Amino acid sequence: MVDESKLREKAAEVLAREDVRRLIGWKRGTYGFEAAPCVIKDASEAEALIFDPTCVQNPASFITLEEKKPVPRGQEADTRKIAVMVKGCDSRAIVQQLVEKAYDRDHVIVLGIPCLGVIDRRKAAALFGDVASQVSAKVDAEKVAVDVGGDVKTVDRKDILMDKCLRCRYPNPLVYDELLADEVEKWAGDEFADVGEFEGQSPEEKWAFWEEQFSKCIRCYSCRNVCPMCYCVECVVTKLQPQWTRRATDISENTVYHIQRAWHLAGRCIECMECQRVCPVDIPIMTLNRKLTRDVKEMFEYEPGVDVEAQPLLASYNPQDPEDFIM
Amino acid sequence: MDNLNRRPRIGVYICHCGINIGSVVDVPGLVEYASRLPGVVVAREYTYMCSDPGQNLVKEDIKNEGLNRVIVASCSPRMHEPTFRKTLKEAGLNPYYLEMANIREQCSWVHPDKEQATHKARKLVEAAVVKAMLLEALEEKEVDVIPACLVIGAGIAGIQASLDIADAGFKVYLVEKTPSVGGRMAQLDKTFPTLDCSACILTPKMVDVANHPNIELMSYSQLESIEGYVGNFKATVRKKARFVNFNTCTGCGVCAENCRLAGRIPNEFDENIGMRGAIYLPFPQAVPAKYTIDPERCLQLTKGKCGKEGPACAAACGPGSIDFEQEDELVEIEIGTVIVATGYDVFDCTRKPEYGWEDIDNVMTGLEFERLVSASGPTGGHVILGRDKKGEGGYEPKKVAFIHCVGSRDKSVGNEYCSRVCCMYLAKQAHLVRDKLPDADIAVFYMDVRAFGKGFEEFYDRVRREGVRYIRGNPSEIYRTGEDHTVVIKVEDTLTGTPMEYEADLVVLGVGLEPRRDVREIIDLFKLSQSTDGFFMEAHPKLRPVDTASDGVYLAGCCQGPKDIPDTVAQAKGAASSALILMAYGKVKVEALVSVVSPDECRGCGFCMEVCPFGAIELVDQNRMGNIVQVAQVNEALCKGCGSCAAACLSGAIQPRSFKDEQILPQIAVLGVRI
Amino acid sequence: MSAEEFEPNIVAFLCNWCSYAGADLAGTSRTQYLPNVKIIRVMCSGRVNPLFLVNALQQGADGVLISGCHPGDCHYMEGNYYARRRYTLMHKLLEHVGVDPGRVNMSWVSASEGAKFKDVVEDTVTKAKEAGPMEQFRRRRINW
Repeated sequence: MVDESKLREKAAEVLAREDVRRLIGWKRGTYGFEAAPCVIKDASEAEALIFDPTCVQNPASFITLEEKKPVPRGQEADTRKIAVMVKGCDSRAIVQQLVEKAYDRDHVIVLGIPCLGVIDRRKAAALFGDVASQVSAKVDAEKVAVDVGGDVKTVDRKDILMDKCLRCRYPNPLVYDELLADEVEKWAGDEFADVGEFEGQSPEEKWAFWEEQFSKCIRCYSCRNVCPMCYCVECVVTKLQPQWTRRATDISENTVYHIQRAWHLAGRCIECMECQRVCPVDIPIMTLNRKLTRDVKEMFEYEPGVDVEAQPLLASYNPQDPEDFIM
Repeated sequence: MDNLNRRPRIGVYICHCGINIGSVVDVPGLVEYASRLPGVVVAREYTYMCSDPGQNLVKEDIKNEGLNRVIVASCSPRMHEPTFRKTLKEAGLNPYYLEMANIREQCSWVHPDKEQATHKARKLVEAAVVKAMLLEALEEKEVDVIPACLVIGAGIAGIQASLDIADAGFKVYLVEKTPSVGGRMAQLDKTFPTLDCSACILTPKMVDVANHPNIELMSYSQLESIEGYVGNFKATVRKKARFVNFNTCTGCGVCAENCRLAGRIPNEFDENIGMRGAIYLPFPQAVPAKYTIDPERCLQLTKGKCGKEGPACAAACGPGSIDFEQEDELVEIEIGTVIVATGYDVFDCTRKPEYGWEDIDNVMTGLEFERLVSASGPTGGHVILGRDKKGEGGYEPKKVAFIHCVGSRDKSVGNEYCSRVCCMYLAKQAHLVRDKLPDADIAVFYMDVRAFGKGFEEFYDRVRREGVRYIRGNPSEIYRTGEDHTVVIKVEDTLTGTPMEYEADLVVLGVGLEPRRDVREIIDLFKLSQSTDGFFMEAHPKLRPVDTASDGVYLAGCCQGPKDIPDTVAQAKGAASSALILMAYGKVKVEALVSVVSPDECRGCGFCMEVCPFGAIELVDQNRMGNIVQVAQVNEALCKGCGSCAAACLSGAIQPRSFKDEQILPQIAVLGVRI
Repeated sequence: MSAEEFEPNIVAFLCNWCSYAGADLAGTSRTQYLPNVKIIRVMCSGRVNPLFLVNALQQGADGVLISGCHPGDCHYMEGNYYARRRYTLMHKLLEHVGVDPGRVNMSWVSASEGAKFKDVVEDTVTKAKEAGPMEQFRRRRINW
């Protein structure tokens, strides 16, 4: 577990530097099981920073947003560095962003935090119901101790942590300038059992499932907006010329939207699960991404977001690539 | 641009193609259907649209009806697209406002059912109409070609190509990695099947390239970088330091005689069976006849100290040409065309340890044997083995064995191909042994004998008549017994089915030809591709054997695949004439159907750049609302318009002209609708 | 619509240099094949954005086909290798969503394989027939 006082000290130290513009981290939320991401500019604000299993959101999403801010006429673009605190999974987003040349490595100062898992608010709600007070938590290799307004309750990891944490292969950040705590031991492997299970169904069953799920979609684009890998200047999904999908929220356009979203993440999704977490209508979006992740790994021996030097999957090829479905 | 902003006024022309289309497709019905499509002003039919009257129909309508888009529904665009493009051009309309509907090859000829064929034809015409609405006027550009050629490699291929181009009056920069031109051919003794002395026919050409006023010979130099595109390349060549003043060296050789390491360093030119000093001329006929100091061996250069009195070479040199302070020089040149003639390496026998080449000194490669029998070689052309370091003693072999297909036609070492020259050079070498050692017993172990060239079969017959035994069998092992020089070849004679052990005191391995070990450097410089055998890939195996996929870059000689000297010379002349076509005309057309980037939408991820097979895309800085960002930029002279970039682009910022997303999606919308 | 009378509609994307020429050759040699296939010409199979396939299925196509040069024969050297990767993944993704895998096809057809093109068409049509009309996420046509 990271020592929060050390974390604040380090953050203040980094923010005090001349060449650092701001720091992205987490602070305690108003209520509920998720901490709020925060952007701080001054070392004095570092006291608010926390890290515990409520720090769910992937702060890497903000780095690319920062890049796009227009500079008022007559002013110089602020090219100072961005400091960012990342968990293992978040760091993969940075790796993949670097692979895609989203920014230079020396533009960011990465403060890595080895992580033992974060809370799934949906699972927590099932255990605790709606919570109107502030929540903090502690996690170890076996249990999660949840403190709801002073009332501490210990629960099993699997009952409260996000699914991605239960099968996490990269609890330690893969890219960092400084590690804020000792590395933790990896506890699980990912067997993609969930993907295999889903694949076992007939096309009719699969479609019946997705028809129900996609029908719920209200096309709020939260899944796209939160995704650390979605940072095009103008998203093709909402472009009018050419128009790939219409704006109607019917099953046809919704399905195409979700296929398009999943496709654009093929070989790029780093499995932070943010898309699924933020979905207001509970569509299991990661089911599509997981399928692609598994296939990419099996067919092309490729895993996005682990190697800064890697070639992007769909911008490379191997003459021996599988071609079982080609006539 | 002519009528870019005007509303589309489309003319549709349906061709009967005699009865080829008309007998199946209901053409009048199709005309009637097309005339009602949005944007269509004129719809007509004609027996042969490609005929002059047919084309005039289009021209007149462009004039009288103010057409700004033309659709011809007829045969395949692969057939007559150029014809109708020209028609539009002649009528003053941009040729890229043409769209064709293929209703012959892909409709009337393959669908006998009239109703179905007519229905499909309607759909195809409608798809053409929706695409035509969104067509853009494109510009066909020409760029000037710099009248100079860079030839890389000065073996016989590079020499011949350089001479041809220089004789035609164009500038040639001939870059050679080693201190002398000549390449592999200079290493050979005699050539098959005519038994011409290799050096005798090559040296005049070597001298010619050095003296030709149009050729700038850059020996002991390497290509460092190249950028640009067909007609306009900029290259940087590294002239390596020779540590000898090139202009004052007379080539007298006193320095080499006095070198403290004279005769102690294996000479690469002699395949390491002969010796040289740290300052050397690779072989007596070397061109330029200028000495070079080996920076890796020279005592002065490696240790900073040479003997008590200082470097002996410098002391001996009359003109005072030795210069230990010399540094590499980078030279920038501008050229319009490039010929790659980097040649080959012979098979590395350490990859076939069962033949014992590494350990047994009287097992040698064919190329080593060439040096052994060469009059300019270490033994002065005498077949003498096992001499000591002073070049004394030794013995003449009594039993000589030649082995075919070492490193060729052998999947176990990864070379499936035939090297094409080994059968004949081994026959020639067997003949040379017979010539020099009339009493020797000579055996050749072969899989097949491929004597396919002019005079080859006759020569092979002659060698057999000279008492050279050909035994069909692929040796499994070669090893030495006891103290003397006897080497045992274990082999099965596959014609009689008998296993045998042949004892020899000289074994020559017919090593195959392989791509240069440092082939990667050239590939990275030019973005060339390799065929499965590792040699450079030509643009088309049959019809464009000297071109590469990079325009203006041509291949000559064995870098493209194994070949003998006449084939190499022929290909070099082919490459030279291909380069000359561009330079003589002085201009080159660049593809109009290229990709374009919308820089404001580009996110600079570089996927397109990674995908592009032609290296046509680079990332450049762009000021986006005060922020400097990287965006893709297409070099139109390099782009071939394949569109792979567009499929890789997530934001749709890069699109190939005439095949943009917004031009294809409407086609899908028309064709996707079920009957 | 009963299975007997169902004629699937196929949208095919053919590369200019091999497959489109192969389809032309089928025509020149008068090789008859089913008219269900409608061809869109692109310069290279590498141009085919896999989302074109999704778009075609949405527009109402019952099957889609990409066809390019055989591996190693691409006119642009590498385009078909990229196409293969993209297609394979899109095929898997659509299968996961519940689209019948028989609807989504790719083939290698060279300029000399007119006969193979016929086989590919026949195969594609048969598979689309088995899968039945594509209704899953077909776009509703709005007629004002």
